[in-house]
Amino acid sequence: MTSAVYSPNKSSGLRDFIPHLPAGVWSLSGFSLLWFGGIVLPLLAIILVSFLQGRGLNINFDPTIKQYERFFSYGGGDMLARSVRIAGTVTIIELLLAFPFALWLAKGCKNNTVKLLTFTALTVPFFLSPAARVIVWRSVFGINGVVNQVLLGAGIVDKPVLWLIFSEFSVHFGFIGAFFPTMVWPIFLSISLIDNDYLEASGDLGASRLRTLLHIIFPLALPGIVAGFVFTFIPMLGDAVVSSYMGGNNVLMLAAQVQSLIGVSNFLVAAALAAVVLAIMLAFQVLLWFALKPVGGLAGVFASLRR
Amino acid sequence: MKSDKGKHSKHFYFPLTRRNFIRGAVAGSVIAGAPAILKGLTRRVKAAEKGVVRMLMTAPTMIPGDWKRFEKDTGLKMEDTVIKDDPGIFLTEVQVNDAGDRFDIISTLSGTEQSLIDGGNIMQMEASAMPNWSGMPASIQSMPYLVRDLSPDAGKVWGVPLAMNADSFGYKPSTLGEPRPPEEASWSLVFESEKTMGRSSTGDNYIYLWEALAYLKHTGQLNVTDILNPSPEEAKATADFLIKRKEAGQFRLFWKIFDDQIAVMKNGEVDAIRCWEPAVNEVNKAGGDWVYATAKEFYCKWMHGMYITSQVEERGNLDEVYTALNWFLSGGYAAAITPLRGYLNGRPDLAVDYNNSNGLEDISTTMDAAQEKMKLKFAKEDFWFSAVPDNLQEMQAQMDRVLNA
Repeated sequence: MTSAVYSPNKSSGLRDFIPHLPAGVWSLSGFSLLWFGGIVLPLLAIILVSFLQGRGLNINFDPTIKQYERFFSYGGGDMLARSVRIAGTVTIIELLLAFPFALWLAKGCKNNTVKLLTFTALTVPFFLSPAARVIVWRSVFGINGVVNQVLLGAGIVDKPVLWLIFSEFSVHFGFIGAFFPTMVWPIFLSISLIDNDYLEASGDLGASRLRTLLHIIFPLALPGIVAGFVFTFIPMLGDAVVSSYMGGNNVLMLAAQVQSLIGVSNFLVAAALAAVVLAIMLAFQVLLWFALKPVGGLAGVFASLRR
Repeated sequence: MKSDKGKHSKHFYFPLTRRNFIRGAVAGSVIAGAPAILKGLTRRVKAAEKGVVRMLMTAPTMIPGDWKRFEKDTGLKMEDTVIKDDPGIFLTEVQVNDAGDRFDIISTLSGTEQSLIDGGNIMQMEASAMPNWSGMPASIQSMPYLVRDLSPDAGKVWGVPLAMNADSFGYKPSTLGEPRPPEEASWSLVFESEKTMGRSSTGDNYIYLWEALAYLKHTGQLNVTDILNPSPEEAKATADFLIKRKEAGQFRLFWKIFDDQIAVMKNGEVDAIRCWEPAVNEVNKAGGDWVYATAKEFYCKWMHGMYITSQVEERGNLDEVYTALNWFLSGGYAAAITPLRGYLNGRPDLAVDYNNSNGLEDISTTMDAAQEKMKLKFAKEDFWFSAVPDNLQEMQAQMDRVLNA
């Protein structure tokens, strides 16, 4: 095999030992290495630590499953089930609210000023602290809040409704407000990328609006829906603000539990909790894989973006 | 590496410190090395800067605004950093992240001292280097956990008191038909009262489980061997009690932070709440009618101490650090913190003179009242709170069980 590559210095020292691979392969390998070192190894370290024993900042290298036993014996199983249930429910509600909203924003709204104002309204909350974003709801749903005043004033109730705040209802509500933009943005982007010719062709061929929605828009918006699901569901599991401020710690969730464990140097049980969460995430990945199999798997879903 | 001499002698322990991480990395342990390298990138050792003292402290003991008085009196510049006073977070910052590399003085809730001494994180003090030390009441100098009662070097000085108080709870006397201080009110208003059913609150961590345990002890509902160090069984029994009360609908919420306490009092969500004294002051400033209880059963006494980090010796700014510590005992800090928060420090007796000699506001009435109040509260036997009881993790786990119920 002959090489026509120009080489200004035939004895390049160290470079002679490095395989001649295309630059793209090198950058990919470099990224993989970073990903492995920055993401995979710490996760493996967490799993390893979850099987150790210790006290405070001292770790003992005797393998054990004690941390998992401790976690589940203090109601950790209930807390995990509650966290996944609430995050899952809110994600589905977000999807039902965000899809029509994103469709309107991407294809229905023709007024650029309205569009700009809507973009701003969706972006502004990210400039506020997470606590500031949710704490305002206390004065709306509190015992002397606006809603209770209206209900009492209208004679609908004869005493304040207590479950409006510091309850699962208020936690759901707090999440819906806080995570609406994270569901809207990806769906809006994927719908925006749908060529209007497809929609017009569908209409010209006699398809009803519903049929166009189900057979053209929805499949082509799937990348955004999947991304919206990931950007909403996963960060929601990691949110400690809403469950504390809106739930009054009556609705303990995953992130608040992690904070509590770290606050007393209980790193080993925190690692066990993280490992359980990792297992749950992997299980969701498998579920997603099965769910998307009929449309060609995840690769098939995102292939629509290349059209 | 070293073994933990105390509690788990048959096991070999690896103390989690940055230096050990780095050693591990050099030995080729990639897993241990990765976080150490990252920390190395983000943490910077600060060399001593002439005339500058750096302090790590917690929000409740901060003097809001600036350090002008400190700087005028000492000729030093204070650079402060605030940290959360959760023991795990504080100890991680000091012992794993080597806070001593960046701070000359660290301050936190009392009870962590033994761990800091064992870890070599703080150095012994020379009381004679702080002229204002000697005038401190013997009762303060000899407080449990705090200054001079630490094994293995009992009698030696390891810390300086920064601020202290005896905590109880706030309530609305007009709504509940309860007496106003100085008449006593019972902790039952927080834990088990029909009057406050669904309208009481306590905090969300192990401290508040501990107080419930003290309540059970004082009301004869639980035999407690050592209130200063509850056993796992006692913590569990207390959690069972709190779960029962939670299921009965006693608690409106379990608050997390100071602002939460103020918000639920102001918004009328609760009529009785285990809270910090400044929260009641804040609510009353906004027109509330709340009082901070003269507690019938017990107080949760606490102190924040100041400690010199071990690295100060090699930085060579020990004299400046002592000058700074002496200022905190000079009356200057007391004159600021007591009117603001109601807390006392080691030398409240110097506060009035300090203000008078500096042409500042006359605070004699405030200081007298605060000292009188403290005398009354400290007279109650129970209990001095420690940030790190032996069964800390078990206590928090039981509190988590309450929150999960």
